[in-house]
Amino acid sequence: MSEAMTTSILSELVSGAKSANSFKGIRSEAEGFLADSRIPSKKHEDWKYTNIKRLFDNGLNLVSANDLTFNSVDGVEVYWSTNEELVGSTAIHSKEAHAALNTSLFEKALVIRVKKGAQVNEELILQQVIKLNDGEFSATRVLIVVEDNASLKCQHHYSGSPQNSSLLNNLTEVFVGQNARLELNYVQEIGEGNLMTTTEVECQRDSNFTTNCVQLYGSLLRNNVNIRLKGENVETHLNGFYMLNGKELFDNHTLVDHLVPHCESNEIYRGILAGKSTGVFNGRVFVHRDAQKTNGYQSNNNILLSDDATMNSKPELEIYADDVRCSHGSTTGQLDEDAVFYLRARGLDEFGATALLLTAFAGDVLKAISSEILRSELEDKIQNKLKEMRA
Amino acid sequence: MSLLTIKNLSARVEEKDILKGFNLTVNPGEVHAIMGPNGSGKSTLASVLAGNESYEVTGGEVDFDGKDLLDMAPEERAREGLFLAFQYPVEIPGVSNVNFMKAAVTEVRKHRGLEPLVAKDFLAYMKEKKELVELDGKLAGRSVNEGFSGGEKKRNEIFQMAMLDPKLGILDETDSGLDIDALRIVANGVNKLKSKDKAFIVITHYQRLLDYIVPDFVHVLYDGKIVRSGTKELALELEEKGYDWIKEELTEA
Repeated sequence: MSEAMTTSILSELVSGAKSANSFKGIRSEAEGFLADSRIPSKKHEDWKYTNIKRLFDNGLNLVSANDLTFNSVDGVEVYWSTNEELVGSTAIHSKEAHAALNTSLFEKALVIRVKKGAQVNEELILQQVIKLNDGEFSATRVLIVVEDNASLKCQHHYSGSPQNSSLLNNLTEVFVGQNARLELNYVQEIGEGNLMTTTEVECQRDSNFTTNCVQLYGSLLRNNVNIRLKGENVETHLNGFYMLNGKELFDNHTLVDHLVPHCESNEIYRGILAGKSTGVFNGRVFVHRDAQKTNGYQSNNNILLSDDATMNSKPELEIYADDVRCSHGSTTGQLDEDAVFYLRARGLDEFGATALLLTAFAGDVLKAISSEILRSELEDKIQNKLKEMRA
Repeated sequence: MSLLTIKNLSARVEEKDILKGFNLTVNPGEVHAIMGPNGSGKSTLASVLAGNESYEVTGGEVDFDGKDLLDMAPEERAREGLFLAFQYPVEIPGVSNVNFMKAAVTEVRKHRGLEPLVAKDFLAYMKEKKELVELDGKLAGRSVNEGFSGGEKKRNEIFQMAMLDPKLGILDETDSGLDIDALRIVANGVNKLKSKDKAFIVITHYQRLLDYIVPDFVHVLYDGKIVRSGTKELALELEEKGYDWIKEELTEA
């Protein structure tokens, strides 16, 4: 493909975009994909409720992302790279337009690597304070490699107050080696901004991967998590908790791909919706023919605090193996009035009763977060948002 | 001065009149039993007194220790010292009994102008009250009522009552469905809480409970009103003869 052509495809989507010299192979694949596809509109099944395309229709300008910082943790190598081989090896950029856009436009990848056998106890914290103005677009790229027998806890915290017609696109690729462990926590609280995040994960045998995503503020938050279980005896947990108010729209799309036998996946996504907000959960568990003895569990539970809030929940279980244990369930309802009255009859006021019940509802997700500090910060933030929801 | 004065109370649920001019006066130190056939309004009375908003009060007044009870939110009633032991205690997944009671006791103490108990004192207080109702230590750490047996739920109600130290305890069919051991434990708990300042209203179907919690007065509730009042002998008579003779007498009159 000629450079002129790819540049024109990209600059149709995001003005100011041009092909960079680094990562030529994957960028060319991504641009090839973009040449044949478009940013999906609401007509696309995966984007039925979430209109991110309108941001592109109004015009977006590429700006450099220099908002990602990190702490220094013993045993973890963290560096910016323009030639790391593993970047792009999940090949998501040739399957999905936003991933292709990210691959075309990120400048350098943040590489996080834990060497074989290294056990890291301290949490690595990526702070991304987004400063985008109206009409601005930026792309950030992260690669996390936890080598065989190593372990890591990492948090990626999105904050700041980007303006409401900007878009940040982040793509994180994750490789969890044999018998390795990774806990990857996301906190998304970006005021009125828009955020498109994708996490692509590959797990090797005997590994353990947990990811928790807590979404608190944003005009539009779209979070994709795709996990491929490539080796046997992998245990994976993916959890999410979201609280929406006003006109916020948070969308979680997850996929667990069981490719081989004897793996276990557990998924709990829970949310509280108030105001005129809209939530989307689409959770797909795909059990391939060879993936016998799979244990797959998924649940999505939502509490609506207002008549005008909407939740679109779609659990999908596709099973092609015949010896598996899988279940899924989805509930959306109001707060249990009997429980509220019971607590009030013991002296708690209405808000105290509601907060206690909703905090307990969040608890099943939060307890998967091992950092006590993060958990207690989140509990405070949840309390604050509950107060706003009441107002 | 009486602790509770109910005058001409009427209430309805879902357009159906249940209480139709109910009167009752309860003094400190007294135990009142309210008996009556199904559908007579016993549980409605309990729910209305506790402030359940599914019930609409259509008339009458209730004075609780000098204050207008019907004017108070459910939590204010609880803080003022009214306690309802629920007929069907609610299961609350994810909220431990300990945290629940800590929140409740803190609210009630605050209302009485007392500082929250520090953790050590709270745990000691809780231990003392647990022993009162022979509540298994493990139940206290578990989610409120979740997976509890019927007897455990009822014991947990009496435990909560002991923790909150109310002026008036209303037991809504706390005895229904209990085996004799659980019944004895529940009744002993109540008896230990009895004092000259506190009163109890025991709502029950069965005279059996009244062998253990001896009432000062027994009232028969029928069609939303008290139709007969007496002493504990009335309960025995009801146990023996059922309610039909009262219904017949009322029809004749």
